[in-house]
Amino acid sequence: MNNVVTKAYKLLRKSEQATDTQQTDQSKRSFIGGLVGASGLAVAPGVMLYETASAKPADQAVTNQVRWGMLVNVNQCTEDCNACVTACNDEHGLWPEEGSSTDSQWIRKLTVKDPTTENTKSFPVMCQHCEHPPCVDVCPTGASFKREDGIVLVNMHTCIGCRYCMMACPYKARSFVHEVLENQLPSTPRGKGCVDSCNMCVHKIDAGENTTACAQACEKDGHQAIVFGDLNDSQSEISKRLKDFGGTQIRADLGLNTGVRYQGL
Amino acid sequence: MMGVIRINIVSNVLIGLLLMLASTTLIADGNKVPAPKGDQCVEDPTWMRTNHFETVLHQRDETVLHGIRTQKHSLKNCIDCHITPNENGEYARYSNSEEHFCASCHTFAAVSVDCFQCHADRPESAVREAIKQHTANGTNPHQDMKASASELILKSSLLSAQSK
Repeated sequence: MNNVVTKAYKLLRKSEQATDTQQTDQSKRSFIGGLVGASGLAVAPGVMLYETASAKPADQAVTNQVRWGMLVNVNQCTEDCNACVTACNDEHGLWPEEGSSTDSQWIRKLTVKDPTTENTKSFPVMCQHCEHPPCVDVCPTGASFKREDGIVLVNMHTCIGCRYCMMACPYKARSFVHEVLENQLPSTPRGKGCVDSCNMCVHKIDAGENTTACAQACEKDGHQAIVFGDLNDSQSEISKRLKDFGGTQIRADLGLNTGVRYQGL
Repeated sequence: MMGVIRINIVSNVLIGLLLMLASTTLIADGNKVPAPKGDQCVEDPTWMRTNHFETVLHQRDETVLHGIRTQKHSLKNCIDCHITPNENGEYARYSNSEEHFCASCHTFAAVSVDCFQCHADRPESAVREAIKQHTANGTNPHQDMKASASELILKSSLLSAQSK
């Protein structure tokens, strides 16, 4: 009996090894595919490279060919609108208690006022998905990490809830789950004792949807203030907008090279 | 000498009885668990019974770290297939029912896992339904079964203490 199990286990390991080789082959193929896409771009500019970069088969690891980011047009964001926050809460199953100062907040609306001109601006702030994330630097267990495609995540399997990352983050983007949770959604597992934050709707990105709940909600409400896209692709809408109008980083002085940029701030 | 042999016989009979009891309990429990969808598990069931955690553990790192989301060995896929409603249309919960596919065996074997403190223990449609009810009642979906969740932790720690 034991023998059969061991044999079956060995077989599975073998098939895993085979998959590994296959993956290497596939990654080679996707690299070549990328080259073809890039050369194809010169002939037919526009969609092609974007499509090549975004369609990832489920069995392939994410690569640094793409870097996901968001551009928030502050001028199109209104103070009374909270659609992005509500959409984020619905998408990830966050139900903060009314008035709670500790319940998870993945995205929040900020209103800032220039005291000299009295000019008021309102905009959403979430994890800025830094290229050099301070949360990753300080994490003692390696739970805080940056995915190849630029998304900064918490691996809750290794998070010990020390909250060092929360201290390190200049954007106060992370929250700690203090209480037992119920009814978490299958796409966003989270629980007591771990730190969590905006994951740039990673389940949507991996499914090839290539958008975030906040960007979708903002578009649906007619503000179109949030643009999601690939910062590495010069033909993507986000890159074009950044090229034409520029985009500021919050606390650019820290040199973190954030993936979330603001226009008109 | 005779005494030792007698003890051996007695203990063998006892172990045999225990094993018999164990297997009947397992079968009895197994019968209560609602049948999974489909006819075939993603791997050989015998192999899965001994090694399912290997596949889940492997897949978990692939998914979190590298965004590989193949269905075959994903926990979500296990849940979607194995957790089905009973004849009353209700979904068993890991925390309070031995009719839950995972709990049926883990409770018996005194295995304490914390997967379901974060991961959904039923398919998305069932979770969405529970959320909808909470919204209609004006209650917070996170507050659902706090009492029973802590009860479970107590129960499973008691069980593992007993098994030691």
